[in-house]
Amino acid sequence: MALVALEDVGKTYRGRGGAWEAVRGFTLGLQEGEFVCLLGTSGCGKTTVLNMVAGFEAPTAGRILLDGAPVKGPGAERGVVFQGQDSLYDWLTALDNIGFGLRLRGMGKAERRAKATHFLDLVGLTGQGGKHPAELSGGMKQRIQIARALAADPRILLMDEPFGALDAMTRATLQGELSRIWAETRKTVLFITHDIEEAVALATRIAVMTRGPGGTLKAVIENTLPFPRDRTSDDYMAVFRQVHALIHAEIVVASETRGMTAA
Amino acid sequence: MNRASIVGGYLVGFALLFLVWQVAATWLARSALFPPPGPVLERAVVLIQDGLLQEAVFASLRRIAQGFTLGSLIGIPIGLAIGSFRPVRMLLEPWTEFFRFIPAVAMITVAVIWFGIGEESKVFLIAYTTIFVVIISTAAGVGAVSRDKIRAAQCLGASKLQIFALVALPATVPYILTGMRLAMANAFVTIVAAELVASNDGLGKMLWDARLYMQVEDIFVALLALGMLGFLADRAFRFAIRAFAGRFNPTV
Repeated sequence: MALVALEDVGKTYRGRGGAWEAVRGFTLGLQEGEFVCLLGTSGCGKTTVLNMVAGFEAPTAGRILLDGAPVKGPGAERGVVFQGQDSLYDWLTALDNIGFGLRLRGMGKAERRAKATHFLDLVGLTGQGGKHPAELSGGMKQRIQIARALAADPRILLMDEPFGALDAMTRATLQGELSRIWAETRKTVLFITHDIEEAVALATRIAVMTRGPGGTLKAVIENTLPFPRDRTSDDYMAVFRQVHALIHAEIVVASETRGMTAA
Repeated sequence: MNRASIVGGYLVGFALLFLVWQVAATWLARSALFPPPGPVLERAVVLIQDGLLQEAVFASLRRIAQGFTLGSLIGIPIGLAIGSFRPVRMLLEPWTEFFRFIPAVAMITVAVIWFGIGEESKVFLIAYTTIFVVIISTAAGVGAVSRDKIRAAQCLGASKLQIFALVALPATVPYILTGMRLAMANAFVTIVAAELVASNDGLGKMLWDARLYMQVEDIFVALLALGMLGFLADRAFRFAIRAFAGRFNPTV
């Protein structure tokens, strides 16, 4: 049985300007221990899919199951790493941010510190635990977010373009770190991105979405490249081309549609 | 900037203020109604020796401290409730939006009728002027807590109460302190007005008496004392905000 199952999921927003369909007929199962990248152009509804799995938003069609039970609101079994960095708690140190989920469960201070320190080390920030978020760089803040989510020991880690706001060098470094962390923890990951290279570098399966509005699943590609991945190898390039062709078709269609509307 | 250069800057700034005062009084105004700093400071020394200035300062400051504390203690929880619960906001917003346009100065007559010219009326007025500023900035602070901060807590398993106590409340602290700082400035305005109209002591009373007996130097001593006290109170508050919130929020 899939750890998370999305069955014919749809999301339509109803506002003053009428109805707007963000996601349509989306079906995907996530198996325990896999790293799935959900790849799509901007506005395709990929973040909406993540928000529904996280429980921040409810689907208007279909259903989402976690271990066979329908998802009702957010919960500790689904950890989220946000794109923006203001999800960290400015008034807490890095270590206390990481231990926040443990504190919510009433874990004692000493045990919490030990566990938080373990995850601080895991994300490569040894010795930085006493700093406040304002004193950390963007990349370090994302590391803290990952550590905070992992420390709560969720069944699945949901990541919403976590490296989208970082510079290219930092992004590449963190992608490498995330691969290492995933290999160490074998945590199930759903990772949202619009970056093909990122998806090919990280994922064991790449789910490509059609363009929005009303985006849905277009294709799922198995990515069996061995870790650590060499981004200049021929095998890597072959997967990249395959995914690129799928995404490129969506971009072309999207721009043609826009051109027609303009004319 | 280091501490020495900040203090140095303040000293030069104040020296300049006194210089402008001196120039304006001796060359521009040339009037007994606008004394230069010298005679005013001499008069201040006399008033301090007689214990009159301290008495007035202490009376005013005590009222400000009491009313300000009372107003903050009432305003903060109300602001948190307004910011957190929509029904409470619907219910109380007409109150806050109504009363905040009735300045404390306009309430002096009511306060004197209700509480007499003693301490109670002053404390009431200071509390009144404090409450609404604190309520509004506290409620705004709760509203400004970022969605991701709350969502992050939700998917770490936080209950509603935990989100309030461990996320919304600490995130709002800088807003509460800023509101209190603004309220402190209002408190100075209000206390002088209240003491001018009805009081047995305090800096406002000192101003009023000096006007009655045409003791121009006394008026300026009182003004000088108000300026200094306000300046020091605001610095102290800013220092507290920085010590409390600044280490994690560089914008404060």
